[in-house]
Amino acid sequence: MTQPSHSPNVPPNQSELAARPGKYLTITLGRESYGIPVLKVREIIRICPITRVANMPPQVRGVINLRGKVIPVVDLRTRFGLPAGADHDRTCIVVTQVAATVGNGTRLYGVIVDGVEEVAHFIADDLQPTPDFGGAIDTRFITGMAKAGDSVKSLIDLDAIAAAEGAALDTPASLPPADGQ
Amino acid sequence: MTPDRSATAEHALKLLRLISLELAFVDPHAQKPAEELRRLIAELEEAAAVHAPQAIRDLAAAARSLVEPSPGVAVTLTTDAIVHLHDWQPRMEEAVIAWSREPESSGQQAPVSPPAQPVASQSEVPQARRQSPAPAARATAATELFSVLPDDADGELVRLFCSESQDLLQDIEQGVLVLEERPEDKDTLATVFRAFHTFKGNASVMKLTVIQRLAHELESLLDAARRGAYRLDRRAIDAILAGADTFKRFIDEMAVQIEGTRVGQQISLPVAAVIEDVRGMLSAPQQPAAAAPAPPAPPTAAPAIAVPPAPAVAAEPVAITPPAAITPRPTPAVVAEPAPPPPPAAASAGAGSAGLIRVDTAKLDGLIDLVGELVIAQSMVTQNSDLQAVASEQLARSLGQLRGISTELQRTALSLRMVPVRGTFQKMARLVRDLSGQVGKEIRLVLEGEETEVDRTLVEELGDPLVHMIRNAADHGIESPTDRVAAGKDPSGTITLRAFHKGGMVFLQIQDDGRGLSVSRIRGKAIERGLISAHEQLTDREVLDLIFAPGFSLASTVTDLSGRGVGMDVVRRNIERLRGTIEIDSAEGRGTTFSIGLPLTLAIIEGLLVQVGDQRFVVPTLSVRESFRPLPSMLSVVQGRGEMVNVRGTLTPLLRLAEYLHIPSAVTDPTQGIVMVLEAGQDCRCVLVDALVGKQEVVIKSLGETFQDQQEFAGAAILGDGRVGLILDTTSLVRLKLKHAEAA
Repeated sequence: MTQPSHSPNVPPNQSELAARPGKYLTITLGRESYGIPVLKVREIIRICPITRVANMPPQVRGVINLRGKVIPVVDLRTRFGLPAGADHDRTCIVVTQVAATVGNGTRLYGVIVDGVEEVAHFIADDLQPTPDFGGAIDTRFITGMAKAGDSVKSLIDLDAIAAAEGAALDTPASLPPADGQ
Repeated sequence: MTPDRSATAEHALKLLRLISLELAFVDPHAQKPAEELRRLIAELEEAAAVHAPQAIRDLAAAARSLVEPSPGVAVTLTTDAIVHLHDWQPRMEEAVIAWSREPESSGQQAPVSPPAQPVASQSEVPQARRQSPAPAARATAATELFSVLPDDADGELVRLFCSESQDLLQDIEQGVLVLEERPEDKDTLATVFRAFHTFKGNASVMKLTVIQRLAHELESLLDAARRGAYRLDRRAIDAILAGADTFKRFIDEMAVQIEGTRVGQQISLPVAAVIEDVRGMLSAPQQPAAAAPAPPAPPTAAPAIAVPPAPAVAAEPVAITPPAAITPRPTPAVVAEPAPPPPPAAASAGAGSAGLIRVDTAKLDGLIDLVGELVIAQSMVTQNSDLQAVASEQLARSLGQLRGISTELQRTALSLRMVPVRGTFQKMARLVRDLSGQVGKEIRLVLEGEETEVDRTLVEELGDPLVHMIRNAADHGIESPTDRVAAGKDPSGTITLRAFHKGGMVFLQIQDDGRGLSVSRIRGKAIERGLISAHEQLTDREVLDLIFAPGFSLASTVTDLSGRGVGMDVVRRNIERLRGTIEIDSAEGRGTTFSIGLPLTLAIIEGLLVQVGDQRFVVPTLSVRESFRPLPSMLSVVQGRGEMVNVRGTLTPLLRLAEYLHIPSAVTDPTQGIVMVLEAGQDCRCVLVDALVGKQEVVIKSLGETFQDQQEFAGAAILGDGRVGLILDTTSLVRLKLKHAEAA
């Protein structure tokens, strides 16, 4: 969606501001490593039976029953355009709390990751703005990069991911949204 | 200002605030608040005794005499005393404020501001209107017509005020409509008076001066009526209704503000007109005086300044209730006809709500959700295969008991959501009254089964469709009086609103005895609009159903039908969204009946569990007309319309659920699967699934934001094995296929 030759949607200085120093849960997707602000994480559960919801974008794997609550789960690998892989014994669902797009509450949102590593503390010096990947990578959902030892972790903006799900569904359907009571 | 004086004033004001709080919640029969009030007033009197001027001391003493327990009588307060205390409190407060602000030189004998006058009327109250807190500002407030929510308003308190006020206003509206029929009905007069009075008291606690004033005027009007001094005529009823509407608007606006969307904005209130109107009524002599001659009390005798906020305006001769109990007979003109003691009904009206508590609906829904989960967890335990292998009679008994209790618990929890339809019906009473004025017809509204209980959410959702249908009935159903007489009918038409339970559903009927729907005209119109073809054979019922067709209404239709269909498609859509049905029954010349059938609750549905490929779905049982394994002879492909199933002679399009939902490895040969006939309103579609798995009651859960734009599913439910099952949106399945077929 971004023009390769132009700057991406998020100007560098703004993404610099977006990532805050603090604790991050680091996770793996394929061979890459990412960070999720630990304050957004509610719990981590093992992969469980997921009920697929038809006619949804590919990254939406479906819904699960979290102790009586029905919550959506999204495959982050697919979301980031990484090659899909089968679930394995280290695959888990990170249940997060993201901002609701209507009102100012929060809602639960599950993301499937290939594994969780640790909770890391990143100080301001560790953080760098998202580099311009020239449009090859969708940087809308990355708030910045963090150096951890010799590796670099992309910090994920879960609110933006969750909000984009609704937007992605903005098909030109003329019917009003069905009210799930 | 001496420290003594400011300290006393401050203390007195604090006490007064406490008193006003107590007053707001005092119940004439409850003992405790009365004692608390008594204690506070005694303390106030004590505080005033030392430094305060005579007038304030008098006021305090007057209040004490009100709450003093009469010898030999139970300690409770009389309703009258409470009424007078409500009047007394703001006056006392103003007096204290005025005193505390007076220049030092005026000393202890400082005159009290006028608002204190009625109580202190025996004492020498000077006429000087000075130092009443910002009288100019208050006076303009009356004409500028606005009120602002105080900045420091306590959100919880405001919410309480709003919800309580809504109840009171409903009482008022309902009562006034009764009064219109029977203006002398003592019980109703007392109820309405009391409602206004409580409302005024609440408004004063909230410091909503403008509201308080209007309430005061209307209360005065009702008080005059209650004492037989004024007969409520149509004009008065209109004024009261107008006043109630103003309050309603204000409260609605306030409710919005407190939610934080528009903070601190002025709320415009057209109070002045109503106030003027009421005053005009009270001061003008009423010719056919039913009881006493109208009491335009001579200005000198009237307690002119009983309306605290606006002395200037209130100085008119307004027959405001003299606080008779405080100062015995200050205005003989008004009290000439001794006020009858408030009938006991006045008190019992308030006592009716004694056994009730208010609960946040979110909490309630949370509880019902949890109970639903408990029931599911219970069934998971009961059906656990390991447990079932255990041959223990005791275990079986315990499990049975657990099941019984959780079922009962669920039933009780769900009943918490049930409310009588009375409130909604009563709104319709008002609507019919207004409509009959607008369209110039005499219309009577008969309510039946008001106590029928339905799910709270349904009640909220039903308002609009009902309004729409009643409007239609009044506007187009009921004929003009002359037409009715010509047709040999009673000149005044009747609309009956009926609610009842039948077969696990709740039914609402809107019946009018008007001209009815003309089948031939609807048919002609439908042909004209291309909804049906001229040679199509339709039963009368099918023709009537055409008024629900979208677009039918858009016409400049045949005169007596015009508007009859306006938005009826919307009405039907709304009802169907609530998983309900709507039917028409009409006889030309004799009237029309709309019947709405609705599920008892929206929280739980009875579902059929179906298997498609490796997935299971819940289909609301109510939408499934039948299901069967089709024979090869029943299947056919119609050119341009796709696959059809012959269901007893009717060709019905077939939707392959697996294809539609992109589910692999499902049954593809219909004769190997099951065909369900789903219906939504009058439309039917066949849906192919692999197998029926079972029947289950499920608690409906929202799918949430991520899935808000999809149309295939109405929600989700936790199934017996703990997995999530999706609930198919049958209406959209049926309708979507329809479009598809038409497009093809």
